[in-house]
Amino acid sequence: MTHSKCSPFDTAVPSATSINRRTVLKTLAAGAATAIAAPYIRPASAAPAQLRALMWEVYAVPEIVGAFEEKHKIKFSPTFFDGNSEAYNKLRVGGTKDFDLVQADGFWPGLYFREKLIRAIDYGKIPNTANVYPVFKPERYKLLTDEANGQHFGVTWCWGSYGTTYNTAGMPKEKVQSIEALFDPAFSGRLATSARFEENIALAGILVATRMGTKDKPRPDGKSFNPYVLTDEELAEVEKLLIQQKPLLLTRYQDNTTLQQLLESGAIVAAPEFAQVYRVLTQKKEKGEIDLDFAHQLVPKEGGLGWVDTWLVTSGVTDPAMLDICHDFMNTFLAPENIKKISLVAGSSATIDLRAISTPEEQKLFLMDRTEELASMYMFDQPSSPEKWERVWSRMQAA
Amino acid sequence: MKARLAPALFLGLPTAFLVALFVLPLLSMLVLSVWRTESYHIIREFNLGNYHVLATEGAYMTFLVRSLVMASVVSLICTALAWPIAYAIILYGGRYRLLLTLGFAVPFLTGEVLRIIALQGLLGPIGLLNGVLMALGAAPLRVIMYTNVASAIGLVYLYLPIVVTVIYLSLLNFDQRLIDAAKIFGASPARAFIEVTWPLNLFGTLIGFALCFIPCLSATLAPRFLGGPNGTLYGMAMAQQFGESGTWALGAAMGVVLFAVSVLLVVIVARLVDLRRTGFTGFGRG
Repeated sequence: MTHSKCSPFDTAVPSATSINRRTVLKTLAAGAATAIAAPYIRPASAAPAQLRALMWEVYAVPEIVGAFEEKHKIKFSPTFFDGNSEAYNKLRVGGTKDFDLVQADGFWPGLYFREKLIRAIDYGKIPNTANVYPVFKPERYKLLTDEANGQHFGVTWCWGSYGTTYNTAGMPKEKVQSIEALFDPAFSGRLATSARFEENIALAGILVATRMGTKDKPRPDGKSFNPYVLTDEELAEVEKLLIQQKPLLLTRYQDNTTLQQLLESGAIVAAPEFAQVYRVLTQKKEKGEIDLDFAHQLVPKEGGLGWVDTWLVTSGVTDPAMLDICHDFMNTFLAPENIKKISLVAGSSATIDLRAISTPEEQKLFLMDRTEELASMYMFDQPSSPEKWERVWSRMQAA
Repeated sequence: MKARLAPALFLGLPTAFLVALFVLPLLSMLVLSVWRTESYHIIREFNLGNYHVLATEGAYMTFLVRSLVMASVVSLICTALAWPIAYAIILYGGRYRLLLTLGFAVPFLTGEVLRIIALQGLLGPIGLLNGVLMALGAAPLRVIMYTNVASAIGLVYLYLPIVVTVIYLSLLNFDQRLIDAAKIFGASPARAFIEVTWPLNLFGTLIGFALCFIPCLSATLAPRFLGGPNGTLYGMAMAQQFGESGTWALGAAMGVVLFAVSVLLVVIVARLVDLRRTGFTGFGRG
């Protein structure tokens, strides 16, 4: 019988050399490090366990998200934001590693792509993109295609304007066709606007440029008029206009529920919004839950602001398996039956043509025959100088 | 060995905690405040431009003055309300004292956002108050709809429980026999209160006042949801810099100024008040 290197007795006999304090500490440290790192380490061949999205809360419809989770055996982890600039700030401070998908609208996706915060995507793997209205196809909606190399980096799923919802008994239709209505002393104390500083300034900017006659004249940047790129003179006038507007406002609403209450109670007669509250109020009226009658002015005569919400994939997604899941998530989201549910929940108009599966009332309410009007709107954009715009907003708030 | 380890552990851990979670973030704010932002980009160049903006743009000074006035008014109201409440609990609470005090902590079981939004509903156009008024055929009370008054009501609602608890604890530790002694020597109840109870609980009152005043100074949610177009306070404007406008460096400078103002106010109060005569026992017997 030969002796093995380790006899059965060796393990039973305590040895001062085999286990010492340093060994124990090393083992504990290694164990702790493994335990801490374990959630972040997975084999290259393993399927992704989590899909992380940075998005607006209203679009996270549990039924659709749940079905997707079930299909891919994956956890959908959303983080919610209020505005584009907030999402942009999150992505810039390392968010591309924290999120796989992100939502944005207007010109923001282009900015994200230029700054390499998002990556190119393959429309071929998102077949439902074929169902979007012509105005949202890449040939006409150019904000999701890189001018230099023609790569696509986002898919659209809903759109809207920053039009005015108004109480038809409290504000005449001819008045609300102009942005002037939101600055009219005749409605003092019965107006509200959103708390979004970019859109307040941009909307006032359209009115100011119209009044100053600078909207259709050559611009300093050589491009056509964009209410997010205002001259110093126009910004100074915007500031005066917003200060004049202050006493006319009951409040600057923070959320749709508040706006709905304000309109429903008759406390205000008009407010600019994304038509979501208008749809809720119209449906309540149809059900006989309210007596007041509301209408929505999509685009004022001076021009209005518009937005198209898009899904984007962050540059942190490099794993082909994860990219496939991102593509499939967007495709699932755009499936007509799903996007209709999302539309109804969020009160937003879809970019997918849903007329075949919608009632005439739904078609009217969700502006399904008015998608072409988007072409006449100024898209939500990044302020040309957030610093100057912040000063304008602060001075207005302090006035 | 043990004798040396215990103080090191008990003082070392809080010190490490404070350095990691208070001093370092504060220093990073200080550093950020001397940089600048340009179109959502941080430019790491030393400059005092943000402080220059704060000093020369009247808007930020207006926000600060508004906040100082709001914090002072709210803290005074809270203190004035908290004293009789805490005193009543001590005098008449009996065996329910603890329960009554804990009752004041119940609102803390919900989030601050939830409480403010609930209050917005209460004070709003179809809230309970205006709903009743309108049902009775009266006009709604505009003064509580999206005004500084509404913000003040919200802040009192948020911080009153803290002030009550602090004053209650101060009174709980106060030796009631001193009042009896004062009365035996002929003092009326009012005089006993003014010359004994109040001064010997002044330290607790000041702590309660400060715990209301400092968070009110940087309040964000109440003015945002209740304040209306004229209700922007300093904290709300500061939060705006870190949110939608992306002017983080200016926001950091606003934070540094707020910290300096808060410290200055505490120092002024500490110099004006003789802590040895306010019921403060932290100096020991010497």
